[in-house]
Amino acid sequence: MRKFWNLLKKETKELINTQLIISLIFTFFLFYLMGTLVHGEMAKAAAPQEIAVWDLDSSDLSLGILKGLSSANFQIISLTARDRQEAIEKAGASNVSLLLIIPNGFEKSVLELNSMSLDTFYFIRGFSVSATSASGMVKSVIATVNDYVSNSYIKEKIPGIDPEELKNPVKNKDYVIVKDRIAEGSPAEVSSFILSQSTFLPIILMLIIVYSSQMVISAVAMEKENKTLETLLTVPINRNYIVVAKMLSSGIVGLITAGIYMVGFRFYMGGFRGNVPTSGQIDTVVQKLGLAFTPQGYLVLGVSLFLAILCGLAMAIILGVLAKDLKSAQGLLMPIVFLTLIPYLISLFSDFNSLSLPVKILLWIIPFSHPFLAFQNILLGNYLPVFYGIIYMLVVFAIMVFLAARIFSSDRVLTMQLQLKRKNLGRIKF
Amino acid sequence: MDTVLKVEKLRKNYGNLQALKGISFEIQKEEIFALIGPNGAGKSTALRIIATLLSPTSGEVEVLGFNLKKNAEKIRERISYLPEEAGAYRNQSGIEYLRFMATFYASEPHTIEEFVKKGAQIADLGERLYDKVGTYSKGMVRKLLLARALMTSPQLAILDEPTSGLDVINSLEIRGIIREYAKQGTTVLLSSHNMLEIEFLSDRVALIDNGVILDSGTPKELKEKYGAENLEEVFRRAVI
Repeated sequence: MRKFWNLLKKETKELINTQLIISLIFTFFLFYLMGTLVHGEMAKAAAPQEIAVWDLDSSDLSLGILKGLSSANFQIISLTARDRQEAIEKAGASNVSLLLIIPNGFEKSVLELNSMSLDTFYFIRGFSVSATSASGMVKSVIATVNDYVSNSYIKEKIPGIDPEELKNPVKNKDYVIVKDRIAEGSPAEVSSFILSQSTFLPIILMLIIVYSSQMVISAVAMEKENKTLETLLTVPINRNYIVVAKMLSSGIVGLITAGIYMVGFRFYMGGFRGNVPTSGQIDTVVQKLGLAFTPQGYLVLGVSLFLAILCGLAMAIILGVLAKDLKSAQGLLMPIVFLTLIPYLISLFSDFNSLSLPVKILLWIIPFSHPFLAFQNILLGNYLPVFYGIIYMLVVFAIMVFLAARIFSSDRVLTMQLQLKRKNLGRIKF
Repeated sequence: MDTVLKVEKLRKNYGNLQALKGISFEIQKEEIFALIGPNGAGKSTALRIIATLLSPTSGEVEVLGFNLKKNAEKIRERISYLPEEAGAYRNQSGIEYLRFMATFYASEPHTIEEFVKKGAQIADLGERLYDKVGTYSKGMVRKLLLARALMTSPQLAILDEPTSGLDVINSLEIRGIIREYAKQGTTVLLSSHNMLEIEFLSDRVALIDNGVILDSGTPKELKEKYGAENLEEVFRRAVI
C-alpha cells in the first residue's frame, strides 16, 4: 500500500502544476467578475424605471393613469414643454428611457369611447441587459394605462361591479399530479422550478467527466512523451496499482477543478438571477408532489454520478495508451467529449420518454447518459431504471478496468498506438 | 559460479518482423555481459524482454531462478533497468525523483534514505540535485537515471546503451561507475553499438545482428578467434 500511496502522491503532484493553478484562479475570477457585472445590470433592470410624462390633458383620468404607473413600479418625472420637440429634448437630457405624452382631450375621448392613442418615445442608449430589458416598458406602460382606463370606464358605467370580475368572468385552478400525489399549482411553474434546480447537474457531470478523462489521457501520454513509462513499468509495483493511481489522481484533480469551475459558474449564474429567493408557494407545491430529493435519492444519484465518472476514467486510460505524446492525447479525448455531449444536449432540449426507440437505445448504451436520466427518474420516484443504469455502468466499468489492466500487464502498453493513415508521400523513381 | 540470467531460444516477433530469432546466452554472477551490434540488431528488444517490459513470442528466460512468464513481479524486485531513451519526471527535483523510485524498493524509511544517499553519490550532481529535472542537461539526466538504476544495488542491472548521446567526459564517468558497481556485486547486462566502449567495460560479449547471436566470448577470446585488433573488426568479420 505504501508503494501505491507513493505513486498516487506523485501522480497528483504531476497534475497539479503551476499552469493548472493559474488557469483555475483566472477562470474563477473571470466567472466572478462576469457574475458581478451581470448582477449589476440585472439589478438596474429590476429597479423602478424612470419615465418622463408630458401630461397635456391634466384630467382626473390622466392623473389616475400616472398614479397607476407609479404603483406599477414606474418612477414618474413630469415635464412641461412648449411643444413636442422640446419635450423630447428635455426627456433626452434627463436620461430617462421613455417619454409618454398624454394628449389634450384624452379623458373626453376615452369617456366618449373614441379610440385615442398615446405617443411613447423610447430612447436607445445602449444594448446592455438593463437597456434592452427596458424595451418591454412600452408594452407595460400601455397595458397599465389600458387597464386603468377600462376599469375606470366599467366603474363609471356599471357601478357596484368589480371590473376584474367582468373582464375575466371564467377562472381556472391548476392542479398538478405526480404519480398518486396531487397539488394545486401551475405545471409551468413546477417544471421551471425543477429545471432551475437541475441546471447545474449536467454541467457538473460534463465538466467532471471531460476534465478527469483529459487528466488521465494526459498522464499516460506524458509518461510516454517524457520517456518515463518504461522505467515505471519495471519497478516492483503491481501494474494494476499504476492504473488505479492514475485514475484516482485524475479523478481527484478533476473533481477539484470541476468544483472550482462550478463555484465560479454559480457566481456567474447568480448574477443572472440576481440572487432572488424562491417563492415559498412553489416550495410547498413541490414538497406536496414529492418532487424534492430525499437523502436516499441523493445517495442513488451520487452513486450514478460516481460510476459515470469511473467509466470515463477507465475509458480514458485505455485511450491514453493509444497516445504517442501529449499532442496526440488531445485528439483522443474527442470520443469521450462526444459521448458526454450527446446525453448532455439531449437532456437540455428533449425529454427521454418522448424520444424514438433507436435514440433511447443509443442513450442507454452510452454510460454517461445514466446520471442525466437518473435525476428525473429519482424525482419522479422511478428507481428501477436508475438501478438498471447503475448495474449497466458497473458492468461497463468492470470491463473497461479489466481491459486497462490487461493492457498495462502486457507489452501492448508500449506497443499499442493509434495507427493513423499514412500520407502517400510518393516514392522517388530512378 | 551462480547463473543470474539464462536465455534460451528467445524469439520476438512484431507482426511479420522477426526481431529476435531464437537467441540463447547465460550470464554469471558479478559479470558484465554485453550485447553488441548495430542499430536494429535486436539488442534493445532482448533487454526489454529480460526487464519484463515485453513478452517473448517463444523461448525461455530465467532471471535469478525465476521464470519470466510466471514471476515477472519477483524479477522486478531484483533487477533494475535503464532504457536507452529514458527520462525522469520534469516537475520533480533530482532528489525527489531518487526518493520516489527508492520507495518502491524499500519499506523502511532509513533504507529509503540510504538508497537516496547512494543515488546522490552516484549522480554526483551537487546542489543541482535539488533543482527540477526539467532544468538538467542530457548528461545530468543520464547520470541521475544511472544513479536510480544502481542505488538499490540490484542483483541484475540491465543497461541499454548507458552512454547513449553523452560526451566523452560523461561517458567515461558512467563507465567508471558501472565498473565500480560490478565490483561491489551487481551483475550487469548492457547493450551498446559502441564496440570500443564494450571492450573496455565487459567481461564477456555476444555479437548480435539481425536477431541472431553470431558469436560470444571474452573480448580477448573473440579478438584471437577472428585475428582482429578490436571488437569492431571482430564484428565485421563475424558478419561476413
